Amino acid sequence: MISCRIAKDRMIEALYGELGPSDKERFDGHLRSCPDCASEYSVLGATLRVMDQRERPDPGPAFWDGFWDRLSRRKVWEEAGEAPRTSLGARLVRALSGLPRWSYQAAGAAALLFVGILIGSRLIAPPAPVPTAAVSAPSGAIVQAENFAERSKILLLGLVNYDAATEDAYAFDLGRKKTMSRELAAEAPAIRGALNERGQKRLRDLVSDLEVIMMQIANLGSGQDVEGVELIKQGVDRRGIFLKIDLDRMGRDARGETKKKKT
Amino acid sequence: MDERSLIEGMARGDRAAFREFVEQYKKKVFFLALDMVGNAVDAEDISQEVFLKVFRSFATFRKDAKLGSWLYRVTYNASIDHLRRKQFVPEPVGDEVLESRSRDDNASLPHGGAADPAAAVESSQLQVRIARALDKVSPQEKAVFLLRHYDDLMLKDIAATLGLSIGSVKSYLFRAVRKLQKELGGSPLISGVEASHD
Repeated sequence: MISCRIAKDRMIEALYGELGPSDKERFDGHLRSCPDCASEYSVLGATLRVMDQRERPDPGPAFWDGFWDRLSRRKVWEEAGEAPRTSLGARLVRALSGLPRWSYQAAGAAALLFVGILIGSRLIAPPAPVPTAAVSAPSGAIVQAENFAERSKILLLGLVNYDAATEDAYAFDLGRKKTMSRELAAEAPAIRGALNERGQKRLRDLVSDLEVIMMQIANLGSGQDVEGVELIKQGVDRRGIFLKIDLDRMGRDARGETKKKKT
Repeated sequence: MDERSLIEGMARGDRAAFREFVEQYKKKVFFLALDMVGNAVDAEDISQEVFLKVFRSFATFRKDAKLGSWLYRVTYNASIDHLRRKQFVPEPVGDEVLESRSRDDNASLPHGGAADPAAAVESSQLQVRIARALDKVSPQEKAVFLLRHYDDLMLKDIAATLGLSIGSVKSYLFRAVRKLQKELGGSPLISGVEASHD
């Protein structure tokens, strides 16, 4: 006869059928004489049976078919010495996806409040005699970043509005989108680097976010890679990319920093 | 290609052998990473890191060791590093998410089809509860549980894979199952068993 302590020590092995015949016999003998251990054993067994019902979401055949291509591409990037750029992207994705949901809501609310205060202060405050140079045209870096954000937005709109179930894959033309994304991703580091003045952090962050997404699109597998597109759509949604682009534009409109389109 | 040929090919730097290796193990690596970090984008990133690391450092692989165990260990370490870098705090799945998932499932059911809406909602709720329960388990406990329960590794193999003693593996696993039982206590399957012992 074994003690409760020994029975508990062997419970896991018993649950997973890893006890030898003689140990199993002694363990079962203990359960027959100890209602507490018998109860614990059956409850833990029931827990494992519930865990058997767990379903792991499979990303689907398109994801698996493109796995080798994406891995090979990353290997080529790393061998070409472009690892820091990839790492920055990965770090950003990790950092953003790790934030709790409330932080996005709080950040969104704070940004809206900030823009509201800016617009309000322009409308309500008496016009100060501002020298013309102070509200002059935005710097080249801002114009470039604005242009970059707008082109990225157009590309992303085409991507997020695509429905593989109802739309023509040929018209969608993922290959062209990947080429454009690659070009945009290549432009991003220089634009980010030029946005080095105080007050340009948010725009710089937006460019970084977009750079990550452009790299993900450029990195999609061959064919239509529906699963990969879905993952990117979720990323765009989760990071509130369109909201950020629009907020940035509103903020710069309020400060008079946007390009003068009609003069 | 058997494991020995694979090892020999990779030791020679044969690209075809490496590809075969990736094809054989990509799902195991991805799903372990996914279970550990809970995010498909991060899981793919970790999987790529793991395979590239294996490719770069294959020379350090002991040829008498099991390839699968070594790969699990590299994946486990990469996932733990990822969680540490992120100082990961799992976001609890709230009841409102649970309810909205149930609603979504209801909405997607075919009208007048043979599917049982009540069963679909129940199943969906169970998946949420299981995910929430797994979030309560520490990364070490979770890794041991996943390897034993879903990858069917023996306790001694898990010990070798993760560099732990068998006693530690048993202890982690026991704690994991106890925590899961506590979290899933309201599940009809478990509460029925509990009631029968009261």
